[in-house]
Amino acid sequence: MIDLQTVNANVSRVPFFRFLNFEVQSLDSFHAVTEMTFDTRHIGNPIMEHYHGGIIASFMEATAAIAVRPEFTETPAKPINLTVDYLRPGVKDPLFASANVTRKGRRIASVSVTSWQTDQAKPVAEGLYHFLLL
Amino acid sequence: MADISKEKMEQIAQMWNARGKGLITHMALEIEEVSSEGVRVRMPFNTDFCADADQTLLHGGILTALLDSVFGLANFVAIEGVSTMATLDLRVDYLRAARSRADVIVSAHCFRKTRHIAFNSGCVWFDGHDDAEVARGTASFALTRGDVSLFDAMTKGKTS
Repeated sequence: MIDLQTVNANVSRVPFFRFLNFEVQSLDSFHAVTEMTFDTRHIGNPIMEHYHGGIIASFMEATAAIAVRPEFTETPAKPINLTVDYLRPGVKDPLFASANVTRKGRRIASVSVTSWQTDQAKPVAEGLYHFLLL
Repeated sequence: MADISKEKMEQIAQMWNARGKGLITHMALEIEEVSSEGVRVRMPFNTDFCADADQTLLHGGILTALLDSVFGLANFVAIEGVSTMATLDLRVDYLRAARSRADVIVSAHCFRKTRHIAFNSGCVWFDGHDDAEVARGTASFALTRGDVSLFDAMTKGKTS
């Protein structure tokens, strides 16, 4: 299993991951937990200073991709599609995501992701992501 | 395409410019076409949004964010008397790898609006390649009706 330090070094090499500004906190087979630091460039609603929904979906997608293929720098899994439910607004604090690979076949992987802020039982969003493994 | 009033057009331009910070400002979006039938917006190429070290492949996530943003604009244009809007759910299909340094074009419209909910769909392609869609998305939004327009709420912060 790839170690956390290597994964985070790889994360910092992806321009869009740097833009999101997150770190992998834990990683085991089929499971990844990440933490994203709030930045003004993540804002969707400038009055309330909430996260943009697209940033939340992107952060969850990044977490899902790492859970599917922690060695993503070699051949990253190709995203096919995603569905996200937005459950609560994301306020200007760190955002966490936990991705669980529910099924990894020879070609397709299905990953469910939850994101939250202070209480994991009060999710900000939940998503389902599909990847093509080639 | 149905015309919209000059006043509304000015409101839209004001709203876009009043943001001053956040993702939409960072994406440097330019409105190309706007009517109650739908909107078309351009996003210039930006290396921040790339998935690879060579910086020729856009990350799918930014296309998702782009669709979400432009759905909001389409609703603002198509629906009167909305004070707030929240994305309920969003589905995006990535149709091909987004490998280009061309500007991204996104077209979106509201295909059904009720008192509480708006339904949107949209598609994304690279400028000059409208025969090769890169992504397609659908979303639904929860609307709050009120006297305070979305524009006022955005610029003056009168409501949540």
